[in-house]
Amino acid sequence: MASFERFDDMCDNRLKPKILRNLLSDYVPNEKQPLVDFQSLSKVVSTISTHKLLSEDQKLQAKSKSAVDEWVERFLALVSSDMPDKSWVGIVLMGVTCQECSSDRFFSSYSVWFNSLLSHIKNPESSRIIRVASCTSISDLLTRLSRFANTKKEAVSHAAKVILPIIKLMEEDSSEALWEGIVNLLSTIVILFPAAFHSSYDTVEEAIASKIFSAKTSSSLLKKLAHFLALLPKANKGDTASWSLMMQKLLISINVHLNNFFQGLEEETTGKKAMQRLAPPGRDAPLPLGGQNGILDDAAWNSEQLIVSRVSALMYCCSVMLTSSYKCKLNIPVASLVSLVERVLAVNGSLPKAMSPFMTGIQQELVCAELPTLHSSALELLRTTIKSIRSQLLPYAASVVRLVSSYFKKCLLPELRIKLYTITKTLLKSMGLGMAMQLANEVVSNASVDLDPKTVQGSDVVSSTNPRAVLKAGSKKRKQSTNTGVEAENAAFEVGVPHNHSLKIAALEALETLLTTGGALRSDSWRERVDKLLMMTAGNACEGRWANAETYHHLPNKSTADLVEFQVAALRAFLASLVSPSRARPAYLAEGFELFQTGKTEGEMKVAGFCAHALMSLEVVIHPRALPLDGLPSLGDQFPESNSLASLKHNTPNLNNGDNLFKEWTANVDVPSNNEILRNVDSISPLQEAKRLKRGNDLATVDSLSGQDHTDIVGSENVQQADVRKKVPESPKESLGHVSERDDMVPEEVYRQVVSETREGEGLAVKDSIMEEAVVVKKRESLDESDDDSIPSLKADDYLSSDSDIES
Amino acid sequence: MEISVIASSSIDGGIGSWDIKTGTEQLRFKQCASPAHGLAAVGEKFLAASQLRNASGSSGSIFFWSWNKPQVEVRSFPVESVKALAANSEGTYIVGGGASGDIFLWEVASGKLLKKWHGHYRSVTCLVFSGDDSLLVSGSEDGSVRVWSLLRLFDDLQRQQQGSTLYEHDFNEHTTSVTDIVIDYGGCNAFIVSASGDGTCKVWSLSKGKLLRNIIFPAAINALALDPGGSIFYAASVDSKIYVGAMNSSSDYATQSLGSVSEQGKAVTCLAYCADGNLLISGSEDGVICVWDPKSRRLVRTFSHGKGPVNNIQVVRRTVVGNSNKAQSSWKKNGSSLPPPPLEKYERSGDNTVDGIVIVDPPPLSDVPVYSSYHSADLINEQVRELQQQGSAATEIEMERLKLEYKKSLQMNDQWQKNYENLLQVVMEEELNGSSS
Repeated sequence: MASFERFDDMCDNRLKPKILRNLLSDYVPNEKQPLVDFQSLSKVVSTISTHKLLSEDQKLQAKSKSAVDEWVERFLALVSSDMPDKSWVGIVLMGVTCQECSSDRFFSSYSVWFNSLLSHIKNPESSRIIRVASCTSISDLLTRLSRFANTKKEAVSHAAKVILPIIKLMEEDSSEALWEGIVNLLSTIVILFPAAFHSSYDTVEEAIASKIFSAKTSSSLLKKLAHFLALLPKANKGDTASWSLMMQKLLISINVHLNNFFQGLEEETTGKKAMQRLAPPGRDAPLPLGGQNGILDDAAWNSEQLIVSRVSALMYCCSVMLTSSYKCKLNIPVASLVSLVERVLAVNGSLPKAMSPFMTGIQQELVCAELPTLHSSALELLRTTIKSIRSQLLPYAASVVRLVSSYFKKCLLPELRIKLYTITKTLLKSMGLGMAMQLANEVVSNASVDLDPKTVQGSDVVSSTNPRAVLKAGSKKRKQSTNTGVEAENAAFEVGVPHNHSLKIAALEALETLLTTGGALRSDSWRERVDKLLMMTAGNACEGRWANAETYHHLPNKSTADLVEFQVAALRAFLASLVSPSRARPAYLAEGFELFQTGKTEGEMKVAGFCAHALMSLEVVIHPRALPLDGLPSLGDQFPESNSLASLKHNTPNLNNGDNLFKEWTANVDVPSNNEILRNVDSISPLQEAKRLKRGNDLATVDSLSGQDHTDIVGSENVQQADVRKKVPESPKESLGHVSERDDMVPEEVYRQVVSETREGEGLAVKDSIMEEAVVVKKRESLDESDDDSIPSLKADDYLSSDSDIES
Repeated sequence: MEISVIASSSIDGGIGSWDIKTGTEQLRFKQCASPAHGLAAVGEKFLAASQLRNASGSSGSIFFWSWNKPQVEVRSFPVESVKALAANSEGTYIVGGGASGDIFLWEVASGKLLKKWHGHYRSVTCLVFSGDDSLLVSGSEDGSVRVWSLLRLFDDLQRQQQGSTLYEHDFNEHTTSVTDIVIDYGGCNAFIVSASGDGTCKVWSLSKGKLLRNIIFPAAINALALDPGGSIFYAASVDSKIYVGAMNSSSDYATQSLGSVSEQGKAVTCLAYCADGNLLISGSEDGVICVWDPKSRRLVRTFSHGKGPVNNIQVVRRTVVGNSNKAQSSWKKNGSSLPPPPLEKYERSGDNTVDGIVIVDPPPLSDVPVYSSYHSADLINEQVRELQQQGSAATEIEMERLKLEYKKSLQMNDQWQKNYENLLQVVMEEELNGSSS
C-alpha cells in the first residue's frame, strides 16, 4: 500500500499529505492523550512551513485536501478542549494555519475560526495563556485577511469586534504577557484596519495612556505601549488634526511631568513658557492624555525613576509619531520639540545658586541618577525631529547647532556622546554643505578628544607598544606611538581587554560624514589635523591585529565584532580623508595604500572587503581620469583645426566683416598648443563626416562645418553674412524643399551657404569630380585611421556636402 | 515617472509642456509671461512663474499652476517685481530675486516670507540652488555672482557676533549682466559656471572661492547647461549657436559649436539638460524648442512654443499616480485638499516670525500597502524555549523563592499549631479550674 509508493525526491508534492498525516499522528496532541509534548510543537511548525504542508495541491486535490481537512479537524477539536494546555495548542496551530493554508480554505472558514477565538477571549473562565494565544492568532488571522482585497468592510467589522473585549481584558488583568499580546493585536489592527477604531478611539487612548502611567508597567512593555499610542492617530480619520492633537497632548504631558521633576533645578518660568507655547492662553487646551482620568496618581510624583521612565516613553512615542509614515500633511511643532529638548538638556543636576536651599541632597541624588536616561531620550527625540523635517529645519537650524555644540561641551558620558555624534551625522546628512560649515569645528574638536589614543586605556595602547606597530608609519607616527607606549608602561592597565569601541566608532562616523559633505569648503583650519588623526586612528586600529581578529572568533562574544566594526569605521574615515577634495595632495596617501594593501590580504573578511573597495577608490586619485565626455569622443576629434588653418588663410580678408570681439578673439589663437591634436584630426575627421553623410545626418556635418573652430567659424560666419544678403531671393525656396524631404529644420540654410561658398571658390569643376571624390572617401573609410593623406579635408567635406545636396 | 519639458515665453504664450519621450504636447498652462529664469517647478508639487506684467504698478506677481489644470490657481503679489525664481529640489522653499537686488525666501507650505535680504546692487537675474540645497548662488545685472549659505542667513546671532558678510563668496569679474549660472555635481568642491552678456563664461571653484577659468566666446551667452561628465558645458549664444565650452581645455577660447538653431541668427535663449537619454534642449527667440542628441549632434525633435521668444526651459520629472487625465487636482493627490497659500508680501516681525510649526508633506507614493507580520510561530517557539530552559535563572529563582516560602509556611504552621495547643491548654485549665471552683 502506501508504504510501497515511491516518490521522486524531497520536493515531490505527493509527499505533503503523507508528512502531514505523520505529524498529526506522531507529534500533534489529541484529546485522548493525557499530556502535551510542547517540545514537538516547534518541529511541527517548522516542518509545515518548510514543506508548505498546508497549501493544498491542485493536482492531488483529494489526497491533500483530506489530509488538511484532518489537520483542521484536529486543531478545532483541540481549541474546544477543556484542558487549557490542549486548547492552547489548538489556538496556536490555528494561528499557524491562518498563515499557511490555501486562500480558498482560509476564505471559507476564517469567520468560524475568528468567532471561536473571540469566544475564548470573552470567556471569563479562560486562562491567561489561552487569552494570549488567542490574541496572537487573531492578529495572524487579520493579517491574512488584509491580503484579500474584496473583504475590506467585513474585515473591519471583524476587527472592530475584538477591540472592546481586549481593552476590557487589559483593565481587568494585570499580567504583562497578556498586555503584550493585546498591544500586538491592537497594533496589527491599527496598521491594517484603522477604521476599526472608529467608535472606540477615545476608550483605547485612555486605556493605553493609563497603562503607560501605571506604576507597574515594565520598561519594555512601556515602549510597546508608547509605540502603539503613536500609531493610534492613524485610526482617528488619519488626518492632520488628529496627529497634531496627539502630539500636543504628549508634549503637554511631558512638560507637566518635567515641571515636577525639575522643581528646584531650573527657573520656574521655563516650565510656564513651555506650557504657554503648547496651550496658548486664548485657545482651549486639549484634554490631558488619557482623558480626564489620565491625571496622574500621587504615588507617581514621588518616584523620580517612575517619572523618568514615563517621560522617556512619551518622548519615544513622539519619536515614533515623527518617523512613521502618515498619509496626510503633518504640522510638526518644531519649536516646541526643540525647546523641550533644550529644556531637558539644560538641567545637568547642578543647583542654580538661588535654588540651593530648597533642595535636599537626597533629592538631588535621586534626580541625578535618572538624568542620563532622560537626556538620552531627549537626544533621541531631537534626532527624529531632524530626521522627519530634513531640509525644512532651516529656520531652526542655527539654534539646533548651538544646542548641540553647547551640549557637546558639557557632555561626558559616552552613551550620550554617541547620541550626539548620531545627531551630528543626521544634521550633516539632512542639511548638507551649509551645516558642515557650521558644525565642522565642533565635530573636529570633540572627535579629536574621543579618538585620542592617550586618553583611552586597553588594547589600543597595547597595540602601540607592539614593535610591529611602529614599523610601517612615518616618523611622526613612530614618535607618537612610542610616547604612548612609555606612558602605557607606567600606567596600571589591563592587558588586552577588548573594550567598548562604540564611542570611537561614533566619532569616526561623524568625521567621515563631515568629510563627505564638506571636506573642502572652509576646512583650512581643521583639515590637516583631521587627516593626521584619521591616519593614526586607522593605523592603531589595524596594526598588529589583522590576523588576531580571526582567532577571537570562537568566542560568541560581541567584542570581536566590535573590533571589526571599529577597524572598518577607522578605515572608512581614513579613506574619506584621502578621497575628500582638499587643496594639497593627500598627505598620507602612502600610508593609506600600505594599510589597505595589507588589510586586503590579511584582514578579517569584512575589513578585507572594505580595503579592496578603498584601493579601487584610491586608484582614481593616483590615475586621475579625464572622463571621456559623454558622447563627445574628445574635443579635438570632431573639429579638424587644419581646416580652420586653411580657411584662415583663405578668409583672412573677410575678417573685416566680423565685429571687434571676433577679431580680438581670433588674434589670440594659440595654434601651436593644438598641433598635436591636429595631426590626428586631419586623418580622422573626413571619415567621420563621410559616415555621417551616408546616414543622412546632414545636420551634423553642417554643424561641424560652420562651427568647427574659431577661425573656421569666423570664416563661415562671414560667408554666411555675405551670402544671406546675396542669396535671399532663392535660398528660402530651396531650403523649404529640403525641409519637407528630410527631417532637418534649421541648419539647411547654413549648409547651403557653405556649399555655395565652396562652389564659388572651386568653380564648376567641382561637380565633375564629385563622383570621384565620393569613391575616394569610401576607400578612405575602408582604410585605417593611419591614412596620412593631407589633402585638405575641407575640400572633401565640401564635395561630399555638395554631393548629397545634388542627390537630394 | 514622466519626464516633460516645460517652456515659457516673455510674451503671453502660456507655459507649454511636452513629453520628452513621445514628443506629444501636454497641457498648456495659461496666462504666463515670465522673465528669463522666472519659471520653476516646485518639487513635484506645482509650477511657479514670476510674471512680467505688473498687476498694480510697483508690485510684482508670481503665479502657481497645479500640474493638471491650465488655469492659474494661486496668485501672489510680492512687494516688487521678481525676475528670477527657483525652488529647492524638495519643493519646500521658493526663492525669488527682485529688480532691486533683494532676494526673497518663502516657505512653500505656509507661504511665509522667511527671509529677505539685499543680495545685489542691481536686479537679480538668476538663482540656483547647490546640489544639496544648502547654498544659493545668485547672479545679477551688475555682473556679480554671490554664494549664500541659507543656514547662515538664518543665524542672526552668529552674524551679529562675528560681524561678517552675509555671503560666502562674491565673484565680481563679469563686466556686464550675468545671464545664467550652473553648478556641477562636485559637492563641496563643485565648480560654478557663470555666463554673461560680456561673451565670457567663467568657472569658479566653490571650495577655493576663486576664478578657475575664463572662457571667451564669440558672442554674448544667454544660457548654460552642464554635461554630466563634468568637464564640458553648453552655452547658448545670441548668434543662434550652441557652443561647447571645455573647463579643462588649454585654450581660453571656446569655438566648437554643437549646432545652430536658426538660420536667421535668432538668439538661443535657454538650455536644459535631460539626464534621461542624455538630451540637450534649447529654446530660441523664434519660439522653437529643439531637442538635441549631443553625442551625435543631431536634432532629435522640435517643439513649437509659439511666436514669442522662448526664454525658459525646464526638464521636469514627475511621478504620475493613476491617470493624469482625471480632473482630480494634484493637490488632492498629495493628500491635502488645498492648494498652497499665496506667498506673503512682508516678513513677519518679532516673535511672530517663527510660530514653531513646520508642515511636512507625506512622502510621495504613500499609498503602498501596509504589511504586518505573523506571530503564532514565534509564540510557539518562545513557549518551547521557556519550557526547555527549566534550569534557567528565572525558574531557579522562582523555585528557590517557593521553597523558602514553603519553609516559612511550615514554620508558620508549626507556630500556629503550638499557639493553638497552648491556648487549648489554657482554656482547658481555666475550664477545669472553673468547674473545680
